[in-house]
Amino acid sequence: MNAPLLEIRKLSKAFGRVITANNIDLSLEEGVLTSIIGPNGAGKSTLINMLSGSLPVDSGQILFQGVDITRLPIYHRVRMGLCRSFQVVNVFPDLTVFDNVQIPVLAVHRRARRLFRPVMREIDVRKEVGRVLERVGLAAEAQTVASALSHGDQRLLEVGIALAARPRLLFLDEPTAGMNPVERAKILQNIKGLSAEGKTTFVIVEHDMDVVFSLSERVIVLHHGEVIGDGTTQEIQNNPRVREVYLGEEVAA
Amino acid sequence: MNRAWTYIAIAIVLAGLVAIGLFAGRFVVYLSMRVLILSIFALGYNLLLGRTGLLSFGHAAFYAGGAYGLGLLSIHVTTNPLLGIIAGVALACIMALIIGFFCVRHTEIYFAMLTLAFGMMVFSLIWNLRDVTGGDDGLVGIARAPISLGIATIPISKTSHYYFFVLFCFLLTVVLVYLIRRSPFGLILSGIRENDRRVEFAGLSVKNYRLAAFAISGSFAGLAGALGALLESYTNPFSAHWSHSAEPILVSLIGGIQTFAGPIVGSVIFIGLREVIERFTQNWMLWFGLILLAIIMGLRGGVVGGVAQLFGRERGEASASGGAR
Amino acid sequence: MLESIVHVCLAGLSAGMFIWLVASGLTLIFGVLGVLNFAHGSFYMLGAYFCYTFLAWMGDNFWLGLLIGPLCVCVVGFVVERYFLRYVYHLALPYQLLLTFAFVLLFDDLVKVIWGAGSIGSPTVPGLSGSVSILGRHFPVYSLFIIGVGPVVAIGMWALLEKTWWGRIIRAASSDREMASAIGVRVPALFTAVFVFGTWLGAMGGGLAVPYVGLLTPGMGESIIIEAFVVAVIGGLGSLKGAFLGALIIGLLSSFGTRFIPTFDMFLTFILMAAVLLWRPQGLFGEAA
Repeated sequence: MNAPLLEIRKLSKAFGRVITANNIDLSLEEGVLTSIIGPNGAGKSTLINMLSGSLPVDSGQILFQGVDITRLPIYHRVRMGLCRSFQVVNVFPDLTVFDNVQIPVLAVHRRARRLFRPVMREIDVRKEVGRVLERVGLAAEAQTVASALSHGDQRLLEVGIALAARPRLLFLDEPTAGMNPVERAKILQNIKGLSAEGKTTFVIVEHDMDVVFSLSERVIVLHHGEVIGDGTTQEIQNNPRVREVYLGEEVAA
Repeated sequence: MNRAWTYIAIAIVLAGLVAIGLFAGRFVVYLSMRVLILSIFALGYNLLLGRTGLLSFGHAAFYAGGAYGLGLLSIHVTTNPLLGIIAGVALACIMALIIGFFCVRHTEIYFAMLTLAFGMMVFSLIWNLRDVTGGDDGLVGIARAPISLGIATIPISKTSHYYFFVLFCFLLTVVLVYLIRRSPFGLILSGIRENDRRVEFAGLSVKNYRLAAFAISGSFAGLAGALGALLESYTNPFSAHWSHSAEPILVSLIGGIQTFAGPIVGSVIFIGLREVIERFTQNWMLWFGLILLAIIMGLRGGVVGGVAQLFGRERGEASASGGAR
Repeated sequence: MLESIVHVCLAGLSAGMFIWLVASGLTLIFGVLGVLNFAHGSFYMLGAYFCYTFLAWMGDNFWLGLLIGPLCVCVVGFVVERYFLRYVYHLALPYQLLLTFAFVLLFDDLVKVIWGAGSIGSPTVPGLSGSVSILGRHFPVYSLFIIGVGPVVAIGMWALLEKTWWGRIIRAASSDREMASAIGVRVPALFTAVFVFGTWLGAMGGGLAVPYVGLLTPGMGESIIIEAFVVAVIGGLGSLKGAFLGALIIGLLSSFGTRFIPTFDMFLTFILMAAVLLWRPQGLFGEAA
């Protein structure tokens, strides 16, 4: 696959006078585990929101697998294979873990419209749900109601729901937020393993530098809506501008 | 063990319903039909409220659509009740699709207000188009002609005969709603109630599912309306008024909006209680206000929810069967 | 022709100001508490009935009735908020709407029990009765009075919210409950106070309605609440400025409608509401969701 998976051309977005995205040009290759970092207010969330479809762009283009998706509604992008998880846990609280994952799987299998067959009878759907749960390590909690899960398990579920939609490109928005070290290690292992399988390209928005540098093959640094660094972890660690932004901010704070 | 008790309970209820038709006096039969018709209205409505989490204050408009659809067909074209019911349900469905199209792009308060507005629009249309709908006089003289099925003709003009037809429609509704609740579509509706944004991110057009739920519940409302028109042999514009829209809401709440049987139990309680209260006092609204208050402040699971808790069914357990119960 | 139009406009203005009086309380309560109070129409009705009763007791003194009546309704409003509504703020919207709906049922019947189900005639107010000749046609003085009261209330509310310390606290609490609480505002007490004030506004509307509507019936709450809702939605839920404008528009629209297309005037109001909700869902002055 030589064409980039995702191409962002001159993407811009402003909220009043605050420019959150300033003519961003970027392209993401398939199979390269990428991290997007940047200080608070750098525009990371805005970028993810625009790419996934929850925020309209002011100008610019987004091309996914060569197709212009700039104005497509959210569900359409998901069906094409562009998905995201959320920073704040965004699951179906009163449904079981199993049902939480079953919803996107039904969508993928195009069985969601069925009116009169019991959902229990959708055998291949149920099998796939089981596989997803095993992959994220929640198989044991399948019948637990989502709101009863521990925070770490809820974050796993969060990723699981996103994965269940069989995305080719998956944006994880701060997947380890609020986790303890054990949970963090577990989820990172999972992501690493899944990335290695090659079916999904992961792009992770993160604050935690350890996570970023241990996982990523490529790091993109955002600051005030602009890309100020883009390369391997080595290159970024040695990038003077990046160091200024990060260290400079810390000293000033 | 639980399963067996459920089947036994269903069997008893069924036997009771049949017994009413065979042995009870005319008034009890009439009242039972009112309960069954309200149950149809509420079961369909609860797919929208309890399942999808959308509060519509305008569903009475679709009930009226069913009633007037059947009424107009009956008076001007043919008194065949089956065709009348089909006409009523079709009209209600079309109305629900049109009105729903405008309403489902909004949520929560705006959705509720929009449905209220459209519902009252239908009410004022019915009220004002005297030449077509009879205005505040309604349509009178809707005949209950026999149902001709080619091989046999079933008379339904006698109250007790019509009862069995209504019972049949009720059972059909119960089966359909049950199947819908257990289906993938039903699960998606639950998802929309819990977290509509996430459903969108699962790759589904939430608007379309809401519209479908709206139209389906509107169609059941139309069925109830058509049956109601045949029962009373008359329609009336207040069947489209927002105070009538409140009935399926009240009834579902009383019975328990997250349960399947809730709307049915609620209908029994609502109509039964109203009859009892009206024996003693004119002021049944007062008592209903108090009951509604009690339910909202305390017993939010409704009657069925409360009973289910008594028997120890956990929420998770209920969810395990694919969110069916 | 001209005097026809002028009269229709004046009639529309007085009808509109009426609706504004009622909608102002509804909008305030929604803007600050986030609750759409179905029972607001009942407070209007109770205001009218209480006012009438006190008026009759105190020797036909309208102004005294207008003073005391709404205060009685405030007590009712206090009980509703403090002991019931407060406990359902955290619940989903349907439960809140239904709680207030339960009170509608309750109050409607309570009125029937206490005052009887029939309609009660309404007296005229000395000093404001009779009519004035405008462009050759008669127009009721009381309606002119209402046209005057409306803007006074509007200005009063604006002044309260923008210029006073109280107003600032109310605005703070309505935009961020937690923050206001964190800086020491006793939010629950504030909410009760705002609810009672909104109730008072609705009841005042009812009291002022006593000479205007001609007849008091137990159903009067229901008809006004729908109009108040429509106005609140058109103006933008929570925006007082919007409610004022919306009331003017609806008043004028229904006045012109009644005069020129009598059969469909009710219909017009709802079409307008639906149109506004579809084209600009946040209403004329509301904030985008």
